[in-house]
Amino acid sequence: MEFSFGASATKILTTTGFSQLEGGDILMIGVACLMIYLAIWKKFEPLLLLPIGFGCLLANIPMSMMANTDAGGLLNFFYQGVKHEVLPPLIFLGVGALTDFGPLLANPTTLLLGAAAQIGVYITLIGAVLLGFNMHEASAIGIIGGADGPTSIFIASKLAPHLLAPIAVAAYSYMALVPLIQPPIMKLLTTEKERKIKMAQLKPISQTVKIIFPVVVTIVCCLMLPGVTPLLGMLMLGNLFRESGVTARLHETSETHLINIVTILLALAVGSSMTAESFLRLETLKIIVLGLLAFCIATAGGVLFGKLMCKMTGGRVNPLIGSAGVSAVPMAARVSQKVGAETDSSNFLLMHAMGPNVAGVIGSAVAAGVFISLFGDVAPLESHAAIADIVGTVEPGIKAAIAQVAGVAESLR
Amino acid sequence: MEASFLAAVNVSVLAMAVIFTVLVILIFTIKVLVRLVPYEAPPPKARRQPASAPSASGDDHVAVITATLAIHLGKSPDEFRIVNISQP
Repeated sequence: MEFSFGASATKILTTTGFSQLEGGDILMIGVACLMIYLAIWKKFEPLLLLPIGFGCLLANIPMSMMANTDAGGLLNFFYQGVKHEVLPPLIFLGVGALTDFGPLLANPTTLLLGAAAQIGVYITLIGAVLLGFNMHEASAIGIIGGADGPTSIFIASKLAPHLLAPIAVAAYSYMALVPLIQPPIMKLLTTEKERKIKMAQLKPISQTVKIIFPVVVTIVCCLMLPGVTPLLGMLMLGNLFRESGVTARLHETSETHLINIVTILLALAVGSSMTAESFLRLETLKIIVLGLLAFCIATAGGVLFGKLMCKMTGGRVNPLIGSAGVSAVPMAARVSQKVGAETDSSNFLLMHAMGPNVAGVIGSAVAAGVFISLFGDVAPLESHAAIADIVGTVEPGIKAAIAQVAGVAESLR
Repeated sequence: MEASFLAAVNVSVLAMAVIFTVLVILIFTIKVLVRLVPYEAPPPKARRQPASAPSASGDDHVAVITATLAIHLGKSPDEFRIVNISQP
């Protein structure tokens, strides 16, 4: 074999990532570095933003085969866990193992606060439709208001996989910003007198009730909304591990090693979907704005319903706990505690806020179940205008083949 | 656009109704459960007398006091002998 120094050097140069680097890649590498910076130095959800940011960095290095669409690439394998809806339910298993439903069981009416906070999901859905998204995309965007990362990813991968990256990033970014977003809204909507309300101590709950509860929730909710079973079922299984007292090893694994491993896989997979082609679009900006709107309205919905409960109970409910109905466990409950303590340092709302907080997890899962029931089994017919452009680049022959396969599938139903 | 908007509003109203229905069912279920299986405080654990610290043997006491006195007096431990220890 003849060896030419010049030809070899040229070949090496042409196979470096630099030769293929484009403006979009450079911008996305900048976004990745910003996320890594926010995670490490600003402590914004570091457990998620750091691997997401690094996944984004890897995905945007040309020829690295690390984007989620690179068949055979490492992160493509991780992404299969998102695509096939494996990883979000496993996160829910860990969340269930970590969650104490005691405060919710002691004061079950706080479930209503978890329901009221879902208003953010639906106002955002309407806003997204007005901005030109179709119903599938709008549903996936709206669920950001549930302040539940795994649920957002689950719904996005099911209803609008092409929007997974911006939705996941918006959901986790705003969850990290809960301590900044919520307090002004809470203070704006409540009076000082309301913020000073001290709630009665929660009554203790029988261990048997704590064991029966996850089984009952699974039966009631999953029978009503079967589409949500992967999420809610895993959440309740994790909680049953915790409360049953007979599966200490499974409980320990679920709440530590399993959730940590799955978080790494999920976050890297989400990061790998943040390529320049999928992220640098006008839709991303719209989703970021809609996500913020969703969070704000969800917080306001919870607080306003808290005020209603305060009036109806003769001032026994502090409306500040309503903001915790947005899920984001346990950060939203901590924010309720912090804002309450700012007005009266002897007021301890944390345990009271944990009720609506875990109710928010169930509420957002139920909201997701409604979307799956409505749109889950049908592929989106029309995409957003910009997506249609990308879809439009598919070869006409392939389009015909897809139509043929779709026709056969339809006839088999 | 108007049709999409109306569809979105319809979906939102329907979904909120479903969420409230499901969660209200859960509230009643929890209330029934709590009523059927009330909390029972665990029986108080029998208080055990704190175990007394193992008493050092008399020889140990004598050895420690002898060594301390020897250092304090600047004498060898062999030069004196403790014959009696009495509590005040």
